[in-house]
Amino acid sequence: MRAYPKGLLTVAVLLLAVVLCGGVMAAENVKVGIVLPLTGAQAKFGEIEKRSFEMAAEEINAAGGIKGSKLELLFEDDTGKPDVGRAATEKLISRDKVTVLTGGYSSAVTQAATAVAQQFKVPFLVTTGSADEITEKGYDYIFRINPTSSEYFDPFETLIQKAGGIKTMALLYENTQFGQSSAKDVEGAAKSAGIQVVVKEGYQAGAIDFKPILSKVKGAKPDIIYMVSYVMDAALLMAQCKELDINPKMFAGGGAGFTLPEFQQKAAAAADLVYSATLWSEDVPYKGAKEYFNKFKKKYNSETEYHGAEAYGSMYVVADALKRAKSFSPNDIRDALAATDMMTAFGPVKFISYGKKTQQNKLPNTFVVQWQKGKMETVWPEAFAKKKYIFPTPAWKDRK
Amino acid sequence: MGILLQTIVAGLLKGGLYALIGIGMTLIMGVMGIINLAHGQMMMVAMYIAYVLNTMGVDPYFSLLVAMPTLFLLGVLIQKYLLNPLIKVDTILPENQVLMTVGIGMVLTEVIRFIFKSDYKYVTTSYSSATFFLGGISFNVPLTIAFFIALAFTAAMFWFLIKTDLGRSIRATAQDKDAATLMGINTGRITVVTMGLGAALVAAAGCLLAPVYYIFPDLGGPFTAKAFVITILGGLGSTVGAILGGITLGMAESLGATYLGMEYEDIVGLAIFVAVLLFLPGGFKRLTKV
Amino acid sequence: MKKTPVAAIVAVAALALLPLVLADNYFLHLLILFLIWVIIGSSWNIMAGYTGQVSFGHAAFFGTGAYTAGLFVMHGGFSAWWGMAFGGVAAMLLGLPFGAICFPLRGAYFALASLALNLILMHLATIAERFTGGMQGIMIMPTFVSKVPYYYITLGMAVATLVVVQSIIRSKWGYYFVSIREDQDAAESLGIDTNRYKNVSLAVSAFFTGTAGALYMNYMGFIDPHVVFSLHDYSVMAILVAIVGGVGTIYGPAVGAFIMVGLQELFRSGFFGLFKYLGDRTGSETFTQAMEVVQHAHVLVFGILVVVVILFLPNGIVGDWGKIRKSVFRSKPAA
Repeated sequence: MRAYPKGLLTVAVLLLAVVLCGGVMAAENVKVGIVLPLTGAQAKFGEIEKRSFEMAAEEINAAGGIKGSKLELLFEDDTGKPDVGRAATEKLISRDKVTVLTGGYSSAVTQAATAVAQQFKVPFLVTTGSADEITEKGYDYIFRINPTSSEYFDPFETLIQKAGGIKTMALLYENTQFGQSSAKDVEGAAKSAGIQVVVKEGYQAGAIDFKPILSKVKGAKPDIIYMVSYVMDAALLMAQCKELDINPKMFAGGGAGFTLPEFQQKAAAAADLVYSATLWSEDVPYKGAKEYFNKFKKKYNSETEYHGAEAYGSMYVVADALKRAKSFSPNDIRDALAATDMMTAFGPVKFISYGKKTQQNKLPNTFVVQWQKGKMETVWPEAFAKKKYIFPTPAWKDRK
Repeated sequence: MGILLQTIVAGLLKGGLYALIGIGMTLIMGVMGIINLAHGQMMMVAMYIAYVLNTMGVDPYFSLLVAMPTLFLLGVLIQKYLLNPLIKVDTILPENQVLMTVGIGMVLTEVIRFIFKSDYKYVTTSYSSATFFLGGISFNVPLTIAFFIALAFTAAMFWFLIKTDLGRSIRATAQDKDAATLMGINTGRITVVTMGLGAALVAAAGCLLAPVYYIFPDLGGPFTAKAFVITILGGLGSTVGAILGGITLGMAESLGATYLGMEYEDIVGLAIFVAVLLFLPGGFKRLTKV
Repeated sequence: MKKTPVAAIVAVAALALLPLVLADNYFLHLLILFLIWVIIGSSWNIMAGYTGQVSFGHAAFFGTGAYTAGLFVMHGGFSAWWGMAFGGVAAMLLGLPFGAICFPLRGAYFALASLALNLILMHLATIAERFTGGMQGIMIMPTFVSKVPYYYITLGMAVATLVVVQSIIRSKWGYYFVSIREDQDAAESLGIDTNRYKNVSLAVSAFFTGTAGALYMNYMGFIDPHVVFSLHDYSVMAILVAIVGGVGTIYGPAVGAFIMVGLQELFRSGFFGLFKYLGDRTGSETFTQAMEVVQHAHVLVFGILVVVVILFLPNGIVGDWGKIRKSVFRSKPAA
């Protein structure tokens, strides 16, 4: 107890010192602010993205940086909460005086963060937040590299047409922003493709037991079960489909959890022959994709996936725009970003307007993968397929 | 018909597990008169124990033997050093003990997050999704085992409370703490033992749940919520009530999921909870009398 | 403590003048958060700290206020500022029937019922996609670019809340509230209509919490069910703010809000960039790692703080101020 006040004083003085000298850091670097969930439930993906950003920045700096100065990344943790994300963005803009912003993982945080960027007129390149609305507000300082959640189903439409015989669908989705908006889009797309949605059910992520809803699905005998679920719910859904001996022609996942290795490890045999939409895999035919995947694996000794590729691509897009910008003023960077037309490991990037969206990148292809014998194989579109898709899915009891 | 039967079976099996979660909570609530808002978090800790042992090749059912004593100890320590001292302190709110359990729950969650990160973990067993069919209705093997183990634990608890001295002391403390103290029962010690037992029981539930579910630091909260719903349904301090409460909740969730929609699963449980609070205060204990 | 302490007046004056000196958006944002928590913490306190009706579901009122503001925009195309007028009323309208039904329940039962209310509303707001937008939430463009207007609005509301709470507590109602908390049966035998006064305190509490919710919608520009009905971020945080500062004291929640908002930001930002700065300067990995540890610990610190406060300062920092002063004072000569 004796040293208590003294210790407290020291801490206070230290803090004050830090607050005061926080602003006087090296000024010659180009500061890029990045908002990501580094703690909390989404931290796993935040980590992958952070590493990808860092790896890209190191490469860019090693190759000479931006007009002689180096990229300096300032990460802020949004903890997965919109209000914290908003505060973090504000801090990056008004205290750290970043020239450009990127990142943005969850849709909720991204919406809050981009609104701040727009108000302060600092360009923000969205990396992951996939709610359609983000680029539908007409914000002229907001750009987005990733396709929106409504586009995940696109490749399935052609695949279903080709495979044939699919007339009814059961649609299960988690009650999250991603799940609800995907479900709405998929339902619409299914209807226009002449597929009848016989069951459409949302659920709270984290349920123990999907059997009640799955027995209803079983009774409806759909040709395809389309699920928008995060990784562990996805694994439980498939395991319980197997338990209940549900045999549609096709099990399909709408991205999110179905492409992660943990899904396959947890669901084990039940994961086999499940399809999933994905935005990117290391097999995509873009220059640098495979190299990025291998470099990441070598550097961090862990696997990366499409979120990482989005981040890696974003960093290159930002660097490219900074190089082309007349000056580092927000306006010039904005103009340079708008004129972007380049190839990245994530895919070609060009910000266009379509539908209600503005300054939105549109990937030429999203992909369908299928788990085959414990490995995830790209099976659609045909031009990029590594393996032939297996259809219809055989009944559980006929599998070895 | 098949759908209804399958729904009922699913609800019943899940209910068995809920009962086991509820028994620990009902004991604590009955004896100490407080809600333990760290109950689900204790289960989460037990599940991580099962996970760590599993990475060393131990079957989750054997990890019961480690997780239960460990959690018993944790419960004892919490009660002795964090909750009991509060009884003597003069404060404005009598709920300080409950608020303390909120803090404890946060600490448990965050310590686990610190060690294991937020990643999903899971216990791999060969039988996780093993099933057998009875008349076209699928039974999940681990859940069926969990159901019977839960019944066995409840029977054992019942016997313990009725037949042993310690058990009788616990019941006496639950009924009237002051009278029990006057009768020479060391109620301080009884609360410590009860908390330990409650923690050990929910640890058992965690180990039984581990093979069919997955593990992450934040899973405690929802299970705490389920535990108090079960306890209010069953009536404070009633083991039989906890079983009935658990099964009722399991069934209600399942039937709600099938016939209302899966998104109503949680609302159904909460609605029953509110209904019982209003129309049957005291829960099933009022009906069963034990 | 009968009159408003000079310290409080000085603090308000200082806060009012602050934007003239310090126009930094980041600090203003933190101060706005702090003031919002003053409102929520004080509201929780009047019902739980003074009347003894502990609520574990104050997010229900906060979220209702926020959604009132949001729904004005979503359905009527009105300005979200209408929520400031009606958000509190909506929360009150939610609270009164709830109180009427649940106040006969005592102690822990009431706390649990409020928790259930919170969760039910969260699920309903998630499911009713057509009405609330579901998890897609409601987004608006904030009216002002500058923080200063928000700052003054929030400051005004926080002061108003404190003034109202203080005048209620010093009025006849205040004595009724405290008598209900201390001994409900005795209060009843004295002829106090306990249910009625519990409802009064609930109505006041819900009103201010709801208004804070509406303010949040206007200021943040984005809400979804899991944000504003969050058990952890609002219901539990409201309790923490009050108990850390001091349950049943007028300025306790303000002190608690300052500490909690400050701590959260301190840890989230890695001591305001101290570790990163040291790491960059020395080039040592240790500081970078230390920063990660600190950042990951931010909720853990909350938990430990709660445990420590309840154990050693059960009446909070304001409530046990005498105790703190004594122990610090005693150690002073030696230090």
